[in-house]
Amino acid sequence: MTDKDKVIHIDIVDVGTLATTTETNLLKALESAGVHIHYHCREGFCGACRTKLLDGDVTYSTDPLAFIDDDEILPCCCNPNGPLKIKVPL
Amino acid sequence: MKYTTFNQQSTNPLVEPMFFGNPVNVARYDQQKHAIFEKLIEKQISFFWRPEEVDVSRDRVDFQQLTDPEKHIFISNLKYQTLLDSVQGRSPNIAFLPIISLPELETWVETWSFFETIHSRSYTHILRNLFSDPSDIFADIVVNDEIKRRAADISKYYDDLIFATQLWQTLGEGEHTVNGETHVINMYELKKKLYLCMNSVNALEAIRFYVSFACTFAFAERKLMEGNSKIIRLIARDENLHLSSTQHVLNLWAKGKDDPEMAQIAEECKEEAKAIFMNAVAQEKEWADYLFKNGSMLGLNKEILCQYVEYIANQRMTAIGFDAPFNVESNPLPWMNNYLNSDNVQVAPQESEISSYLVGQIDSAVSEDDFADIEL
Repeated sequence: MTDKDKVIHIDIVDVGTLATTTETNLLKALESAGVHIHYHCREGFCGACRTKLLDGDVTYSTDPLAFIDDDEILPCCCNPNGPLKIKVPL
Repeated sequence: MKYTTFNQQSTNPLVEPMFFGNPVNVARYDQQKHAIFEKLIEKQISFFWRPEEVDVSRDRVDFQQLTDPEKHIFISNLKYQTLLDSVQGRSPNIAFLPIISLPELETWVETWSFFETIHSRSYTHILRNLFSDPSDIFADIVVNDEIKRRAADISKYYDDLIFATQLWQTLGEGEHTVNGETHVINMYELKKKLYLCMNSVNALEAIRFYVSFACTFAFAERKLMEGNSKIIRLIARDENLHLSSTQHVLNLWAKGKDDPEMAQIAEECKEEAKAIFMNAVAQEKEWADYLFKNGSMLGLNKEILCQYVEYIANQRMTAIGFDAPFNVESNPLPWMNNYLNSDNVQVAPQESEISSYLVGQIDSAVSEDDFADIEL
């Protein structure tokens, strides 16, 4: 098993935990786990999916154009680098 | 300070504030104080589209089949969208350009306004298709009380800032009496007007537009007026970007990453700014009342639209550091996401009904029956 297939866990405050890989887009991972997160553009420019990152870090596939605070991420255009703890505004 | 179209003094745009610094001289983008605006320009230009590319000819047939309350909803909504873009097509240029000090921000504002004019032209494209003479519709925008009330609130903050800037640029700081009315012009007052104006623009792009989008897409959910919806999707994608830009400006100020005096004003005027949003929410709810006064439509009524206003207001207000004022658990119109997803905006000409690409552009739909009387 290579690193990219390795299952990592995302802890979503008040919701639960989901399993994904570093190769999976975070928004898609959340959706396939049934977490209904708000989204619009899915390209990082609208900011609708803005989410608090409490622990861990992510890599962006597209440079986010929407405003995000230092402790926030845009799940639509990033992949987790490892286990994360996030708080999703539902 | 007098405005000059080419400031002959050497300035360093890397240390200028976004607004009320030295006027811009060289339009250079090799270096940027706030690189985000250059990125927004690039993104916006990549979205370029023309209303004429979208075939709206089938909407005429759909429109005839709508019930009277639905026609009222559709046309009133379109009038409101026309008003919003009439304001947005000119106001950022007139209000912000004379006081901007960064070349990348100046060009962003011009790009932004230019796209709003594309939106305005597309409403004419839609209406010309629905009516042989759309004059009555356009004329009503200026006399309809429901629309006028909104127009007054939307343009108020712009007009205030523009007038104060004009006084400042011609007479400088001080107390000026114009037509018997005394105006106090100083940097603090100017910046305060700018801050409130930016909040009002943000509320317009963040809340008001989305209420109108919801109405448009509610028709599309029933496979009605799809040409119109295709155009509004393109508009919504642009508006998403414009919204991002005003959120950036407000956050750069509030977080002290630009002009320290603006950070102080943002703190002092927080309640006033919040009131602008709350007022926009209240007005949009009143508007929902007017839209549905003759009856609702399948999939959308006054209550759901009002819930959506609150939901979207929560989202937008938290994005600029305010608390969420409403208690709305989840998105009352989940299908909105599909229309606002840029992946779903048709970009390849050959895939959509783009009349400038298609050869037989009148035949937007051909069924097998059309060939029934053809014999070989």
